[in-house]
Amino acid sequence: MATIQESPNSASAPSPAPVRGKINYLTALKEAIDEEMGLNPDLLCMGEDIGLLGGAFGVTDGMAAKYGTHRVYDMPISEAAIVGVACGACLNGKSVMVEMQFIDFISCGFDQIVNMTATYHYRTAGEVSIPMVIRGPAGGYGGGALYHSQMNEAWFAHSPGLKVVCPSTPSDAKGLLKSALRDKNPVLFYEIKELYRRKDIEEFVPVGENSLVPLGKARIAQEGTDLTIVTYGQNVYHCLEAAKILQNEGFSAEVIDIRSLVPLDEETILTSLAKTNRLLCVNEAPMTCGFAGEILARMAEKAFHLLDAPPGRITRLDTPVPWVKPLELFVLPSVAKIAEAALRTVRF
Amino acid sequence: MLLQLYLARYFDVRLIKEKKRGRLKGTLYSSHNQEAILVGSLFGLKSTDWISPIHRDMPAFFLKDARKGWRNPDRIGMTIQEVCAQVWGKAGSPGRARDNWSHIGSKKNRIIHSTSMLAGTIPAAAGVVLADRLNGGDALCVTYNGEGSTAQGVFHEAINFASVHKLPVITIIENNEWAYGTPNELGYSLDDFARRADGYGIPGLIADGQNVLDVYDKVMQCVEHARAGNGPSIVECKSFRAYGHGDHDDDRAAKYRPTEEVEAGRSRDPIAIMKRIMVERGALSPEDATKFMAENKGAAETDNSDFPPEVVAYLTEGVEFAVASPVPPAEEGGMWVFAE
Repeated sequence: MATIQESPNSASAPSPAPVRGKINYLTALKEAIDEEMGLNPDLLCMGEDIGLLGGAFGVTDGMAAKYGTHRVYDMPISEAAIVGVACGACLNGKSVMVEMQFIDFISCGFDQIVNMTATYHYRTAGEVSIPMVIRGPAGGYGGGALYHSQMNEAWFAHSPGLKVVCPSTPSDAKGLLKSALRDKNPVLFYEIKELYRRKDIEEFVPVGENSLVPLGKARIAQEGTDLTIVTYGQNVYHCLEAAKILQNEGFSAEVIDIRSLVPLDEETILTSLAKTNRLLCVNEAPMTCGFAGEILARMAEKAFHLLDAPPGRITRLDTPVPWVKPLELFVLPSVAKIAEAALRTVRF
Repeated sequence: MLLQLYLARYFDVRLIKEKKRGRLKGTLYSSHNQEAILVGSLFGLKSTDWISPIHRDMPAFFLKDARKGWRNPDRIGMTIQEVCAQVWGKAGSPGRARDNWSHIGSKKNRIIHSTSMLAGTIPAAAGVVLADRLNGGDALCVTYNGEGSTAQGVFHEAINFASVHKLPVITIIENNEWAYGTPNELGYSLDDFARRADGYGIPGLIADGQNVLDVYDKVMQCVEHARAGNGPSIVECKSFRAYGHGDHDDDRAAKYRPTEEVEAGRSRDPIAIMKRIMVERGALSPEDATKFMAENKGAAETDNSDFPPEVVAYLTEGVEFAVASPVPPAEEGGMWVFAE
């Protein structure tokens, strides 16, 4: 039988390296889990293939050896039970980080998330809180096809009691995951798998407490004056590319990475709109009832008087994500589609 | 045990009467005829053990750890006041009446909060005892499920996981022959639900759900198995649902179920069976056995004299507390979505 050798100094807090280079998004996630596992002895990890294998993408690589199989659980292929067992452990004093091998598989655990976990604090009038993070690789543009490309965050933003987070940079990946792992509420954490090892976004990421990024505070990825583009996840980079096209046309776009959908930092968007008076929202989930639509609705309610042009959105078509490249790119938001919509908005 | 059977039955009878009197609204899910399953399975547990009841197990909330005495302040279980306040939808409910009927629980009292999703708390039961073991405890968890729950995917997922880690989760299957309006032959191709255990390599026992001593005996075998570190087990308790799925369904249930079947099912009343055994063993005199005749009667045919006075008094305290308790303020509807 396969066994995991525990390292001799297991469960000790990671010692920060004095000099470090830039790290990628995946390493940042790994550091967050390692640091929090070291700090909180009541934090457990549960997921498919996360122990012996170290996770399908290696996010939990080495954790079982370092912290023991009594804290890092290789679970059966049972997403509902994974979430439900984690929920029970949280009910009895633990915190649990759940890994969905692909975020697409989360639908198999849907009931346990939205009916059991999300409602726990509410239905017990505050007696119980469930400090659980459900994280997993998400998003398209990688040829993953229908069941390895989804962005299904809107399902959970629509389920009261859940926080929903989606980082786009290594610093945010680490800082937001650390905050999520300390949060008393269940947090859905959307990792963008196409960013895991992307070279050009590697950056210096702080160690320890300095790396924390609070949930519910948006990041201005690029300042601008003529148009506000609100987005998150991988689309942040498409929007930044589109902003360059606008620049060439003589317009300056502000790109806001909301970082967390729930709670949503409306203030940062409103402040930006007061300056730019134009709004475009971008997400790679389908259009209908997607989060871009939610942002548009809220801004229409709160900032209609600020808008000089009809607000717009670029989303995936209302289709699944197909496999082969031309089909996939046809349905997903692209730099060209975003730039075109942005130019329409600034020229209105 | 007999007194607890009376209490469970009286809870059912009293709520029906309160509803008829117009003092109570909402649907009631009767445990009539299934009380032996609750009493027999709870009786041998430790105070520190967890339970996970569902809609037909309402008395379990106040019978947990009741061996210590219903009114014992050290009992780790809910008071009759808390349970009645929940039934009435009042602020005195442990869940402040945010969800209805059996959808309460208590971390302090080690009762997992139920939802409407059948088998939905079995994974949580596994998680609770896993955490307890990590904390150095030896608590087990008894989960209650109708046989209908066994068709849920999560039933399989959770017990499979519990079996891998030898977690002390005892799954009670209350086989009352009917899942709402569907008889077992339309839902399952096997007669004994205890055989589900074979798929997990764990013990699956069958108990006569009408005989409280048999339920106790079978559950205690599983308790010993669990305490010895051997993990989960299943106990199927053969029973029969005496009335409708809920009281809203009583009239229809009288039509969709054959009269002979219903009469046969009701004829094995757990109170009568317990009395007979006690008389046979000399634990109850034949005269005392006829003192309180709650058995083999519907709610309308009973009155308070059919139940021991201490049972009536205890429940009356709960009912009066619930009636007097205020409804929670409306703004609580918007509270406790997130923990601060």
